[in-house]
Amino acid sequence: MFDLPIEGPALFSIPFGDIVDYASPYTLILFLFAALFTALAILSRPEQHADIIFGEDGVYTGRIPGPENRFQRFMAIACGLAAMGATVSGDIFNFCIFTSMVGLTCIGIVASSGNRHVLNAAFEYGIVTMIAMIPLFGGAAIVAATTGTLSIWELAGGAIAVPFVAKAFLVLGVMGEGMAPFYVAKAEITRAQGAPYILMIHVSSLLIFLRIIEIIITI
Amino acid sequence: MIGEIMAGDHYLPGIAIICVAIVILMTTFFREYDDLHRLILTGCSEVVALCIIAFLATDLAEALILPGLVVSLAELVALSEIYINKEGLGLVPAPDRTIEVFSSAPPIIAAILVIYGIVLSGFTGGAVAGVGLLFYYLCLDHKERFALLETVSGYAWVLWVFAFFIFMMLPAYWFFAVMMAGSAIFVKVTIKLALIGTMKPDQLLEETDHV
Repeated sequence: MFDLPIEGPALFSIPFGDIVDYASPYTLILFLFAALFTALAILSRPEQHADIIFGEDGVYTGRIPGPENRFQRFMAIACGLAAMGATVSGDIFNFCIFTSMVGLTCIGIVASSGNRHVLNAAFEYGIVTMIAMIPLFGGAAIVAATTGTLSIWELAGGAIAVPFVAKAFLVLGVMGEGMAPFYVAKAEITRAQGAPYILMIHVSSLLIFLRIIEIIITI
Repeated sequence: MIGEIMAGDHYLPGIAIICVAIVILMTTFFREYDDLHRLILTGCSEVVALCIIAFLATDLAEALILPGLVVSLAELVALSEIYINKEGLGLVPAPDRTIEVFSSAPPIIAAILVIYGIVLSGFTGGAVAGVGLLFYYLCLDHKERFALLETVSGYAWVLWVFAFFIFMMLPAYWFFAVMMAGSAIFVKVTIKLALIGTMKPDQLLEETDHV
């Protein structure tokens, strides 16, 4: 029942009542990406970094003291776990919860820098994610109200019509939650200490975008 | 656009009202430039999001509102923390509270609440006993060991989860599981609430100073 052109065949599925957690080649690849970058966030040690002096033959080595970096690492790992959850979730509402967790942890990664401009950017981004919760949860609620189920497995293949409004709301919500890279670019903290963790923001937002596209094409 | 409605009869009027609310909310966001006011407005937007879920008017809605509420509250708290750091705000030191009632009443009231909480047990009991301890810690000095309390709370949580496994795997022993879950959640909620009482303004001030 799940052999769809975009998804490919379901590799395996775990039913919990009508909610079925499944893995297709598409979602499995996304999941592996999230897992890989989570492992990188766990293993990398940006506290001890080396800066190359431009145009010369020297290297600065530095050591960042601190709790700031520990918090950033924790948030990056949590962000990876949330992205992993969002990529394999078989339930639209669970996907929404994981997506907003990604948004929350992205705020955490950005805001753990003490710079005032970065904090300003993080605040603006946080307000956008909070507003994006209306279309995100609203979309999921409209899906539940019109079809009676939230299971992607049940809705797959267009057997039950999901209204266009709900799909548009879901995409709008994910756009708001996954918008972090714009604010990171604005804050110019990609060059700052802890840059490997900033990478996690980009990866997670890319993954949830790819996943929502898959969901709205499938249902 | 919306075809057959699985939710109640009043779903469409409700959604119409919500749409009006969203329009008002967005207008205010365009007109408001003060950061604190915008922070409060985001709180309003959470309420709107939860309202849309609530209009399902089924048991499912109840199960969906709780995680939505938790995530949105977490974001609101995170944003408030960012706002405090960004504006460089610290807590104003509280005035000296030498009120006679605050030194004599806590043991009695805390004892009553804790004993009543033990009688109630479970989540409610934990909340009642926790309020008692919170009041006690707020009013009197305390020299408790946070690490120990946190450890006890963690083990209580594990017991609670373990009880649920008994419900699923060995349903015949449900009474044992109920007792275990009830006492574990009691301990956990009590400790969590009591920890709030130990966070006095002066300690909070020390925490914000070195950030």
